[in-house]
Amino acid sequence: MIEVHELRKVYGERTILGGITATFEKGQVVALVGPSGGGKSTLLRCLNGLESFDSGRVVVGGETLLPGGAKVNRAALHRVRQRVGMVFQQWNLFAHRTALGNVIEAPVHVKGAPLAQATERGRELLARVGLSHREGAYPHEMSGGEQQRVAIARALAMDPEVLLLDEPTSALDPERVGEVLDVLSALAADGLTMLIVTHEMRFAREVSHRTLVLHGGQIIEEGPSRSVIDDPKHERTRAFLGLDRK
Amino acid sequence: MAVLSCHGRAAPTSALARVRAAGVLRWGGDIQGGEPYVYEDSEHGGRLTGFEVELASALARELGVRAQFVQNDWSALIPSLERGTFDVALNGVEVTAQRVGRVRFTRPYYIFGARLMARRDDARILATLASLRGRRVGTLANSYSYELLRGVAEVVPYEGVEEPYIDLVQGRTDAVLLDDIIATRYGEPKPELRVVGDLTDGYYAIAVRPAEADLQQALDRALARITASGELERILRGSNIWSDRERRLLAWTDDDQRRMLGTAAAGQRFGWSHVVLFAKGALVTLLLSALSMCLAIPLGIGLAVTRLYGPKALSRLAGAYVELYRGTPVLLQLYVLYYGLAPIVKLDALPAAVLGLGMNYAAYEAEVYRAGIQAVPRGQMEAALSLGMSLPLALRRVVLPQAFRLALPSVTNDFIALLKDSSLVSVITVVELTKQMTITAVDIRGWALPGALCALMYFLMSYPLSLWAQRLEARLARS
Repeated sequence: MIEVHELRKVYGERTILGGITATFEKGQVVALVGPSGGGKSTLLRCLNGLESFDSGRVVVGGETLLPGGAKVNRAALHRVRQRVGMVFQQWNLFAHRTALGNVIEAPVHVKGAPLAQATERGRELLARVGLSHREGAYPHEMSGGEQQRVAIARALAMDPEVLLLDEPTSALDPERVGEVLDVLSALAADGLTMLIVTHEMRFAREVSHRTLVLHGGQIIEEGPSRSVIDDPKHERTRAFLGLDRK
Repeated sequence: MAVLSCHGRAAPTSALARVRAAGVLRWGGDIQGGEPYVYEDSEHGGRLTGFEVELASALARELGVRAQFVQNDWSALIPSLERGTFDVALNGVEVTAQRVGRVRFTRPYYIFGARLMARRDDARILATLASLRGRRVGTLANSYSYELLRGVAEVVPYEGVEEPYIDLVQGRTDAVLLDDIIATRYGEPKPELRVVGDLTDGYYAIAVRPAEADLQQALDRALARITASGELERILRGSNIWSDRERRLLAWTDDDQRRMLGTAAAGQRFGWSHVVLFAKGALVTLLLSALSMCLAIPLGIGLAVTRLYGPKALSRLAGAYVELYRGTPVLLQLYVLYYGLAPIVKLDALPAAVLGLGMNYAAYEAEVYRAGIQAVPRGQMEAALSLGMSLPLALRRVVLPQAFRLALPSVTNDFIALLKDSSLVSVITVVELTKQMTITAVDIRGWALPGALCALMYFLMSYPLSLWAQRLEARLARS
């Protein structure tokens, strides 16, 4: 589904991504974990062109993204982004639209779906994230957890083949984390392909099939989630997971 | 006490005594009026020159004092005289009905013809007032010719002497009626124009404050002496403006003086008809401002978006536009647009005014929207792009609606400012509220009432907007 080949990104003196090669299969849930500044979010954002990179390439469902950013990849990006959904740490709901308005915006204006059809589907999606009763609420009237669930529904409304999630629970109050993870677990159970940058190790262990550990712009360890998280081989992974201290 | 009263008696008790005690006769005029009245001679290092400069010196000499020039905007000479900025106004001040009741006039020092000019190829204009009925005729605002034309032709009021003839050549007006001195200097050199004829005689006289009869009489005597001695003729001939008409000055009698002043009817009273004119002026102001803003807003959005998201070259161009329009006076921009570009694009006054103000305000709106767009969190754009929106769609559907809400209070404030700035377009002959006020003030010989009404009308237009802006800001602050 997604192939990353020798992806390199440098920011001044600092190497953000040091030549990453990875493949993400259809139907899999993959967790990207590791210490802050390790390159997880940057990698994720390179996959739908929100970040440019300096060398290497990304292939998403047959579309190739090359170094040079939006200028070079304009046409490919337009197609990639319709097939790849994204959920942000800060939700980024459209502040001037209601919950339902957020969900139907892209289907109507990007795909050209009829309003009635988009609305019906939008309501289904809001029901799926448990927010039927909030369809008329504006973002500033909702809790963080509610907003993030709307953001997930908004991404799903475009019927993405892959969902990229960039620390979807990091900005939430602790008591709100569960409701979002529940939604994501349900999506995983339905077989949605997901790449999730997360610090929720228990979620990664229970829900994701595979876990990649990024450190210093490199994948230092990868494998089935349970084995990576329960019994990491790399010392830095052990340090990150706090296993050596026990 | 005795000492004080003694001093009181010794102090100057009359205007003439005051002038003599000061040793100077302060006379008000406007260098902008240009040749041959009062102007700076560029060949002699900007020395003050002109037949009125010589006249003032000669009169001062007769009074035993020195002449001292005081620069003052021509259209405000009479108000400045009233408030005591100078002793006399001496700068092509024509004896008109409106002025007679307001100031005390000396005998005339020049008799001019109200000269009618038209385009060479336009045979419809004849040397009669009647032939001007329904035609657009340019002249200086509040001049003698302006009085003649009112109620007959469609008068187009100007503030400078060059512009009426430029517009006549361009076909924006059908004729120009102005003092022969002005026509000779600014109209007749234009090959496209012809002199139709002189309609009536008018007079330049020195304006003195009404209470200062002794100064007026002293100036009359001085004028009589320099007229009789041939000095006046020498001065006028020196500027090439002596005509057969001036012979009448040599035998000027009290009857002539009475006739000159007597043609001046009583001033108008402020009345209902003025209120109607004011309402019309306010309507022009409102229309002008609204149309200008309708132009400024989309243009400003375009500039802001181009500056932030456009290709480098276009972005620089948009930046240059903003800096150019913000960095130069709007008055100058209006001049260039209306007169400067006239040989290329001939705009009517109102469209030129809307375009000029709109393009100027677009520069300010561009900055307001730029700030607004930058205040929308980056994540909004990222979310839009990640949903497959193109940059233009993301801007249109997501960023700009939010930026517009952020900018709305500033935009409303700009509109209020525009309501008032729109008075500048009177320089390109649009009669809006402020211009109507100055015209009326001259008509009724007083500024207080027209000024108050004018202020009230501006307030009635801007205050509701101001309230709306406040409510808007409050609502935005809540969400």
